[in-house]
Amino acid sequence: MSCRDVRLHLVDHLRGRLSDALDLEVRAHLAGCPACQRAAAVEAALTEALEERLPQYPASVALKRRLAVEWARPSVETDTGEAAPTAWTTAASAGSPAVGAHGRRLRRALLPALAAAIVLLALVPLARLWPGRAGSPAAGPRLVAEVVTDHLRVLASQHPLDVQSGDAHQVRPWFAGRLDFAPAVAFDGDAEFPLRGGALGYVFDRKAAVLVYGHRLHTITLLVFPAAGLEWPQGSPRTVGASAGVATTERGYAVLLWRQGPLAYALVSDVDLATLGRLADRIGGTAS
Amino acid sequence: MAEDAGRAALGREALAYADALHNLARYLTQNDADAEDLVQETYARALRASSRFEPGTNLKAWLFTILRNTFVSLYRKRRGSPVVSGLDTVEPVGLDSADQGWLLDDVELDRLRRVVAEEIAKALGALSEDARTVVLLDLEGLTEGEVAQVMGCAVGTVKSRLARARAALRLALRDYAR
Repeated sequence: MSCRDVRLHLVDHLRGRLSDALDLEVRAHLAGCPACQRAAAVEAALTEALEERLPQYPASVALKRRLAVEWARPSVETDTGEAAPTAWTTAASAGSPAVGAHGRRLRRALLPALAAAIVLLALVPLARLWPGRAGSPAAGPRLVAEVVTDHLRVLASQHPLDVQSGDAHQVRPWFAGRLDFAPAVAFDGDAEFPLRGGALGYVFDRKAAVLVYGHRLHTITLLVFPAAGLEWPQGSPRTVGASAGVATTERGYAVLLWRQGPLAYALVSDVDLATLGRLADRIGGTAS
Repeated sequence: MAEDAGRAALGREALAYADALHNLARYLTQNDADAEDLVQETYARALRASSRFEPGTNLKAWLFTILRNTFVSLYRKRRGSPVVSGLDTVEPVGLDSADQGWLLDDVELDRLRRVVAEEIAKALGALSEDARTVVLLDLEGLTEGEVAQVMGCAVGTVKSRLARARAALRLALRDYAR
């Protein structure tokens, strides 16, 4: 493999997206080529700069509330039988330069509903509005769906963490008295997977410890909950520590589940399964 | 009733991506008001098309597809410029992306590691809209196949666009670092 070929594959190599055979070829070349090693370092530095330092523009709380209200309303399509154009679409097709007109008109139209939604959102955690909270211990596929939904709650909530800290010695004691079990998590976070904080959650009918880790721009949710009575899902076998686990995907999210004694552990994120596995190994105490 | 429940569930899941969608919208439109309107229109379109979403497929990629199509069909058209070109749209003579932008020594590499947020944002902003989109979708963790779906092009095209965009970023940041 030439230097030129290797450099075309460097990003995929660094992201773990190459086939095993191709990755071996790239690794073999890199081992003996200082110039391509530098190129790999440059790619890694560029990725790090983009992931860690590129300014991020999250949606404002007001926009999220407007979106929630809009989606909760009966749809125009349902009411009229056809999708009516929005003001923005109409303005655009008419050639109007008023880019912000739709937003302003919609804000005025939604003001009463928005006020009600603000009160509702202030009083009731977003998670409580979601279906699937109640329910009995269920079949394996539903367990995967449930933990993914729990992860989405973390992502969607304005205040997903009850205790925000990168210090495990603040986060772990916070659970004492709030759970009827002690979530045994040996990993305190590191540079690759910093601990962001913790919260209380639910998996079906039982309380769960929710620990949130970061990985670059990604959020990784760890749920720890009593395993008794839960049917285990099918998936690719994945050993975590001395425990047998399963790896699977659901709605585009990677999910890794394992049991340790009476407790079940679930890691969920939009990172790939290999990355999730590295974190699992640290949580399970098998990696330094 | 079941349809409404399904739509509501989809909506709640879709809201989890509001930050990611707004981030891309902000980098495409380059101002806050247009970014908010673009995201709002994206959700309005997604809501109308919710019955066509296939459960089990990647909702995030589906929403990004709607956002990009909305941007292309409405924003570019209104602005009267179908495509905004950038640093990455012209292939330098005699070179391609595989040869571009590699730093010459460890000092330059070290400087790249210390470029600040404004410089990275400026370099990204100098790329074409499509290149910016590919870079940001890649950062969001979409696979090349999913990026191809969003962009409406072949996976090979995504690979080459991403390589060219990263080469342009390396070149720009190398200049900043000097």
